[in-house]
Amino acid sequence: MSASEVKVPDIGEYKDVPVIEVHVKAGDAVRRDDPLITLESDKAAMEVPAPEEGEIAEVLVKVGDKVSEGSPIVRLASGAASDDGGETARSESTSAEPKTETETEAAEVKPSRSPVDSEGEATAPPPRSSSGEGEASPRVPLPLGSDFGGVHASPSVRRLARELDIDLTKLKGTGDKGRITKDDVKRALGGGGGGGIPEIPPQDFAKYGPVESRPLTRLKRLGGPHLHRAWLNIPHVTHADHADITDLEDYRKSLDAAAKEKGYRVTLLAFIMKACVVALKEFPTFNASLAPDKETLILKHYYHLGIAVDTPDGLVVPVIRDVDRKGIVELSQEIGTVSERMREGKIAPQDIQGGTFSISSLGGIGGTAFTPIINAPEVAILGVVRAEIAPKWNGEQFVARLMLPLVLSYDHRVIDGAEAARFTRRLAVILEDVRQLVL
Amino acid sequence: MAEGDQITCDVAVLGAGPGGYSAAFRAADLGLKTVLIERERVLGGVCLNVGCIPSKALLHVASLISEADAFREHGVGFGPPKIDLERLRAHKDAVIGKLTGGLAGLAKARHVEVIRGSGVFRDVNRFDVTLADGGTATVRFETAIVAAGSEPVFLPFLPDDPRIVDSTGALALPLIPKRMLVIGGGIIGLEMATIYAALGASVDVVEMLDGLMAGADRDLVRVWEKHNAPRLGRIMLRTKVAGANAKRDGIHVRFEGENAPDRAEIYDLVLVAVGRTPNGRRIGADRAGLTLDVRGFVPTDRQMRTNISHIFAIGDIAKDPMLAHKAVHEGHVAAEAAAGRPAYFDARQIPSVAYTDPEIAWTGETEDTLKSRDTPFGKAVFPWAASGRAIAMGRDEGFTKLLFDPESKRVIGGGIVGAHAGDLISEIALAIEMGADAVDIGKTIHPHPTLSESIGMAAETFKGVCTDLPPARTRS
Repeated sequence: MSASEVKVPDIGEYKDVPVIEVHVKAGDAVRRDDPLITLESDKAAMEVPAPEEGEIAEVLVKVGDKVSEGSPIVRLASGAASDDGGETARSESTSAEPKTETETEAAEVKPSRSPVDSEGEATAPPPRSSSGEGEASPRVPLPLGSDFGGVHASPSVRRLARELDIDLTKLKGTGDKGRITKDDVKRALGGGGGGGIPEIPPQDFAKYGPVESRPLTRLKRLGGPHLHRAWLNIPHVTHADHADITDLEDYRKSLDAAAKEKGYRVTLLAFIMKACVVALKEFPTFNASLAPDKETLILKHYYHLGIAVDTPDGLVVPVIRDVDRKGIVELSQEIGTVSERMREGKIAPQDIQGGTFSISSLGGIGGTAFTPIINAPEVAILGVVRAEIAPKWNGEQFVARLMLPLVLSYDHRVIDGAEAARFTRRLAVILEDVRQLVL
Repeated sequence: MAEGDQITCDVAVLGAGPGGYSAAFRAADLGLKTVLIERERVLGGVCLNVGCIPSKALLHVASLISEADAFREHGVGFGPPKIDLERLRAHKDAVIGKLTGGLAGLAKARHVEVIRGSGVFRDVNRFDVTLADGGTATVRFETAIVAAGSEPVFLPFLPDDPRIVDSTGALALPLIPKRMLVIGGGIIGLEMATIYAALGASVDVVEMLDGLMAGADRDLVRVWEKHNAPRLGRIMLRTKVAGANAKRDGIHVRFEGENAPDRAEIYDLVLVAVGRTPNGRRIGADRAGLTLDVRGFVPTDRQMRTNISHIFAIGDIAKDPMLAHKAVHEGHVAAEAAAGRPAYFDARQIPSVAYTDPEIAWTGETEDTLKSRDTPFGKAVFPWAASGRAIAMGRDEGFTKLLFDPESKRVIGGGIVGAHAGDLISEIALAIEMGADAVDIGKTIHPHPTLSESIGMAAETFKGVCTDLPPARTRS
């Protein structure tokens, strides 16, 4: 029975992504799509699922390893029996020593070896095997960093770099005479952006009353830095308008009634997405990203819209692809299935990549307005809240119309206020006239 | 403890020398249940019991004797010293007792369980310990830190005779010999030669290599040689001991090599100080699957992990240099790594000190190594003949040398020969770790008049701005 290597699939642009969880161990039986490992990206955790049913012959990664597309994760024996043949193809590690087994625990307990060359330098040691008590030890060796020789950094800075897993040889010091400072190391962390920002001083809240500490969910921990980065980097402006969706809502309800019988719903969000695509085609700078040099705008000729989904663990923004090529019914169904998947925590890397514009709809909950944070590197995001019946003057009298508040946050480096007003107005006009959507 | 008792812990540390106890104490401070296994009755290892500490106690006595003697010609005479060997031994033992007793207290305060016995690996998760009080025990660990040290190299062709000793035997001060031979001109040999010469012995030194104190820059060693030539007997370089016979009137030693005397020489005491060998082969390494190198070291990575990732090795058993302060640093790294912390051995420099008279200390790069590698470097020397303090002490033979990176002007090494050089080297150590350059050191106000001033002045000399020396050609 042969075992095949399962590799990290296409995870987009990401390289050297840390493994934050390993869900399987050798001997585990897995079914297709069972999660094998979880990777951390700057936006969310991504699970790599099993491509087929089988038994895990060997786990080739451990928590803290950095992987890219094509990195081997596990060896999976398809079918029932596992096999033990073949040397592990760990990159760089060339330990040729035979694996011995301890006399106390048979089979599973193997002394883990980290290859040590003649200089005493070792590559990353393999994970420590559990010592027979079943549970894997939480003390997993960290990947070994590089030699900091020749780097102009004091011992305390070197220590901090080890703690934060930052390679000092890759940093440029901003200190006196090029010395790498603690702030340089913290800045290199990326996520926080914290360098120049004064920290909020810690407080002893327990002094004022009883407190408890609850860790943030993984989604929040991972998503937080992304939001913080976007908030700090992008000069946000939020523009507000209203769309009269009285007619649209009638049309939607008629479609929805038919859909319900077939087991899905037609939501307003599907119409808003279609309307956005129409507006985005007319205002291409809204379907764009600023190049890293901040001197060029990259216009995208595809319309992948992110939709904010509220899950028990926190916010996820899955991307619905090619919205321009999908009809209302198809979109409605896709929104339903994707949202369900997100709520179940089954978030695949490709689910959250490649968006060109995002929509955050709080209409189901309420509210009158809010300022969404742009999903960088996108340049604009539409927020919608609950539509309300309002008196509108039609030239002769006040009539009751269903008005949908629209709030558009935009990157003022890319989009001017007048453009944003035109875009939002246009969006409102499209939503007011159902026929425009069909065209 | 009954036969076959099993003790379970998070971390088992094998060996309670400076590296081992530092690792154990740090591990305990990090909340790990820690067991410290030591074959000797007292903690502290070679360093405290039969190494650094007792030798320093005796070297201090040696320096008192030579300083008192040196001031005869400056108008202060004490008369010849009367040496009561028994009381001197008691003094040395009291020093050791104070320190090792303190260690036991520190272990207790941390709830580190000390097991007195000889430990060897039983497998990858257990030590078998032959207890000092009889019986055996098994220590089951999640993580082990091997700090089992080293022992003096023994020359197999020498006869078994109480007058032929290793460093441990010499530190026991068995007698004050009339004639003594030190085999091996390294730091340990020369420190013992210093002690016995001060106590009145005529000491010969035989060394196989080209020079004494291998590893130190030759210019430093030359000052030592000049100062010690009148006090020591023959110094036989590029010469080795061909054989020895233990006879009633002494140990008859035959030499061969460039500076070998024609006939056998007779000695009352022979110290073998030809180096130390790691104890890697004494710990049952194969039963845990530990790899050893040809010399018996247990190779590790930068976190002090061996090839078995939950077993660490530190100190003499891990690698050269065999120095207590290096072992302590490694012990801390290993304990922190064992606790899951991202600790690494990232030190730039490990200072070496010969506590001879004069002392020699150096750290970072040495001039001789830089030259042999053809690495460009900058250099500045401040001779103690220009140091008010050294002259006042009557000890102006020394000098302070700094080595710089020619580009960044940062200090990359330094060496000092002279009184208290071992205490002075720390400033250079800090300068290297902090990446200080010549101006940083020169512009730091040093107290006057001190020996430490010489470091500031050496830095100023490098910049050509030292006003305590004749004007130099200005460097940019």
